[in-house]
Amino acid sequence: MRCAPPAARFGVAIAVAWIGLLLLLGGYVFTRLRLSGDLRLFLPTPRTRTERLILEEVSAGPASRLLMVALGGAGTEPLAGTSRRLAAALRSDSTFRLVANGENLLSTIPDTLLPYRYLLSPTLDHERLDASFLHRELTAREQDLASPASGLLEPWLPRDPTLEILKVLESWEPQREPRLLDGVWFNGRGDAALLIVETAAPAFDPRAQRVAIDALRRHFLAARATPAIRLTVTGPGAFSVLMQHRSEADARLAGFLDTAGMLVLMLLAYRSPLRVALGALPLVTGGVAALATVTALFGTVHGITIAFGFTLIGVAIDYPIFLFSHQAPGVTGAAAAQAIWPTLAIAVAGLAIAYLAFLLSGVPGLIQLACFNVAGVATAGLATRYLLPRLLPTGSRDFGRAALAGRLAALWAGAPRMVWLGPVLAAASVAALVLAPGPFWQNDLGQLTPVPQARLIQYDTLRRELGAPDVRYLMTVAGATADQVLAEEEHLSGGLQSLVARGSISGFDDAARYLPSASTQERRRAALPEESELRASLDQALRGTAFRPGVFEPFLKDVARARQLPPLTLARLAGTPLELSVGSLLLARGGRWTGLVTFADVRDREALERLAASSGGGAAQLIDLKEASENLIAQQRVRILWSVAAAAALLVAVVYAALRSPLRTLRVLAPMALTTLAILAVLHAAGVALNLFHLVSLVLAAGLGLDYGLFYERTLHDPRGRRRTLHALLVCATAACMVFAVLASSTLPVLRSIGVTVVMGVVGNFALALLMIRPDPERPAAS
Amino acid sequence: MTGSTSMISGNNRLLPTLALLLLAPLAWCAAPERQTLQGLLTDLARPAPSSTPFVEAHFSPLLARPLVVAGTLEYLGPGKLARTVQAPYHERSEIDGDEATVARAGEPARRFSLARAPQMQTLVASFAGLLSGNAATLERNFTLDLHGDASHWLLGLVPLNPQVRAAIRSIAVSGSGSQPRCLTTFQANDDTTILLLDRAARAPRPAAPDRAWFETQCQGRNR
Repeated sequence: MRCAPPAARFGVAIAVAWIGLLLLLGGYVFTRLRLSGDLRLFLPTPRTRTERLILEEVSAGPASRLLMVALGGAGTEPLAGTSRRLAAALRSDSTFRLVANGENLLSTIPDTLLPYRYLLSPTLDHERLDASFLHRELTAREQDLASPASGLLEPWLPRDPTLEILKVLESWEPQREPRLLDGVWFNGRGDAALLIVETAAPAFDPRAQRVAIDALRRHFLAARATPAIRLTVTGPGAFSVLMQHRSEADARLAGFLDTAGMLVLMLLAYRSPLRVALGALPLVTGGVAALATVTALFGTVHGITIAFGFTLIGVAIDYPIFLFSHQAPGVTGAAAAQAIWPTLAIAVAGLAIAYLAFLLSGVPGLIQLACFNVAGVATAGLATRYLLPRLLPTGSRDFGRAALAGRLAALWAGAPRMVWLGPVLAAASVAALVLAPGPFWQNDLGQLTPVPQARLIQYDTLRRELGAPDVRYLMTVAGATADQVLAEEEHLSGGLQSLVARGSISGFDDAARYLPSASTQERRRAALPEESELRASLDQALRGTAFRPGVFEPFLKDVARARQLPPLTLARLAGTPLELSVGSLLLARGGRWTGLVTFADVRDREALERLAASSGGGAAQLIDLKEASENLIAQQRVRILWSVAAAAALLVAVVYAALRSPLRTLRVLAPMALTTLAILAVLHAAGVALNLFHLVSLVLAAGLGLDYGLFYERTLHDPRGRRRTLHALLVCATAACMVFAVLASSTLPVLRSIGVTVVMGVVGNFALALLMIRPDPERPAAS
Repeated sequence: MTGSTSMISGNNRLLPTLALLLLAPLAWCAAPERQTLQGLLTDLARPAPSSTPFVEAHFSPLLARPLVVAGTLEYLGPGKLARTVQAPYHERSEIDGDEATVARAGEPARRFSLARAPQMQTLVASFAGLLSGNAATLERNFTLDLHGDASHWLLGLVPLNPQVRAAIRSIAVSGSGSQPRCLTTFQANDDTTILLLDRAARAPRPAAPDRAWFETQCQGRNR
């Protein structure tokens, strides 16, 4: 080319050093960066104890860890067999904590807990182990022995003639069990066997959930009786895996389409493979620098931050485009860069400031995103100014003469001056915002990672069939000690039982159902008779029965042992299946204890509220998780809106400081502000409730609009320069439309909302800048 | 016992009931010669519905004397059986497909699944074989041996599945002609159930019948 050999050698040296630096940074990122899949990064940061509890319950509570499993596609018998084999396999896999399929496994009660049955069963609350009670029980046992039920009961009789262990097991059973066929749970129609599985991992860890679901499928394949049997898994964890899988697939496809599209576009625009390659350098540099920054600052970064961040800093492809298009023939890269730098610098600074707003949002994922973008955009801007020009050959082509740019310039010059456009558009937008019905904001936490409707319906149906806990309502019971919580729960249980009887709820579950308070256990223990007294009662009770004297020695021994037992506590349950049931309903937080009461089918919320209000010292509180999380989201949005407002003010100040003229500042910012208003109006009129991702997209679109406005305004009075600007903006806008149109076609609602918003923003900003940034009529274009 | 459903699973007692129901419906005069198994099964097979009185004694090491109950067994159609105890108390058990209910006066009915223990499934299926008169089905699940002649035959069933055998050692069905008389279940835990059917059940019995009396009735030699 025309470059002098020394300069060329210098250029090569710079290129080598640059790429070397990128590789070094890349290596650092590669060895240090840990990717997280925890979606909680995008939930608001909790500020109070209740908020923390709510977020934990929503994202990691026992209800969120439940997977509901349906087996269908065969007859009752093969389905039931598959259910039993699957449950057995899952029970021996540490990925799962609880597995329930309706089978009642006596063997799951460890021998050490058996003597506790007298402390756990409510029998002694209203009976005494005296001769008349024992005689009634023994007579009933005779009838049991002569009934079809004898086979299983008989081995227990010498040890437990009152069948206390059965009463304990019964009290632990769900109050509303699904239909039992062949000994396992089935749905109402009887064509699918049902299981509930609790994973050890929280729902919002898609990677761990995927491991769990893969394990579940593997066990299923080994357990199924015939290949016709199909497995359906649903639940929050399954959803997060589905979403993760789909967003990855979408991101891969989008990445491929975008890269191919950009290559074609750049080649068409600049007709030089070298420029295409050089054009990618600032973007790559910005990306690597952004990764290195978040790696250094956070260590663990969410996969979404990175995927989303790369989409957002894709805007930096505009910077080399501005440089290339503005490089006139015979002008060196360095000179061209120097010429556009004042404008480019404002554009970069403006965008960086807009992202800084998210630092104040209080959402960890957004803070990471802000750091990622500020670092990426600033680095790409600096690289375009200081590194890229040294590699760029001297200009050989006036891109302002490109046919399309010329035609657009002519169109622009001929377009009528629509002074009314701004006010009319603004008025129409405000009218739409005020008049259109429907909620303005999306407050439903669940909608942030929306799951296809059909899956939600399937989930709801299965949850109902299984009587799984209601995911919306929850009662918390606070206490200084675990035992205090248990005592308060016992106090509430009478009221809850009457609510079940009245149909206000169809069931409830709390820790006290499994583990009575120490005082209740002590009271029952005190009611156990001494051995000699019990022996005398038993001898008397045996009179007139068919039982052989002396067969109930094991019973006498167990009662004597129970009289010596210290009350069963959470600590003593360690290692038993009960530990999990109780542990997930009784939580220790910062030295205090919280008991969770979950409900099945809440039909009368007020009744629950009244019950909570009647608890001693306000220990119990009914929480509406939906309402509470909506409040959290609303609070979070207020913080985000304030920070966006602060960013907007800062942006105006920066632009004003650079342009030093209120009129010019207005000219640059008006199209962007109007576009933002118009997008809000269109979305609202279309019935879209805005969420966090819309806000992020609006900021991104505003950043693009700022670029367009600044560059248009810069060449307002320079027709030749204006054509180059038009060329640059055409390439930029086409690139942005292309990238975000791909996102808009995503299967994921979140990505779709980002894509649609930004495409509208690009089109609006481009058209409005074109129409509104015009030379003043009294000041004809400079010659 | 207060309505506990859940653990009543591997109840071995049902089998006799079942078997008997399946076999029972017959109260019929003897036909000439049936030495072969298939011949016997063909004669035992009966259409529903039909019912027969029964007297059942349960012997257990836990018991000083047997528990004796009397009542009616009914075969109500494929997979549907009922056992009603009329003395010394009232109790009705029903088996419908896979589900069983036991209802006692003054207590809520208890419902449970026959198949909580897998061996039940096999046994139920096998007895279906007896009722349907199909020797092949029976032979898949039991070692069968037939003794005696038409006037007094004895069919022994030993479960082939070791899991089933862990609960039930063997079952003996005796009778004459197309009429089964007695079904004895030997459980692995040394319990024994003797079920007298039809004519044997109608025989007058002493106030406190002992094992010897039941065994005599079962053999029916001294009729």
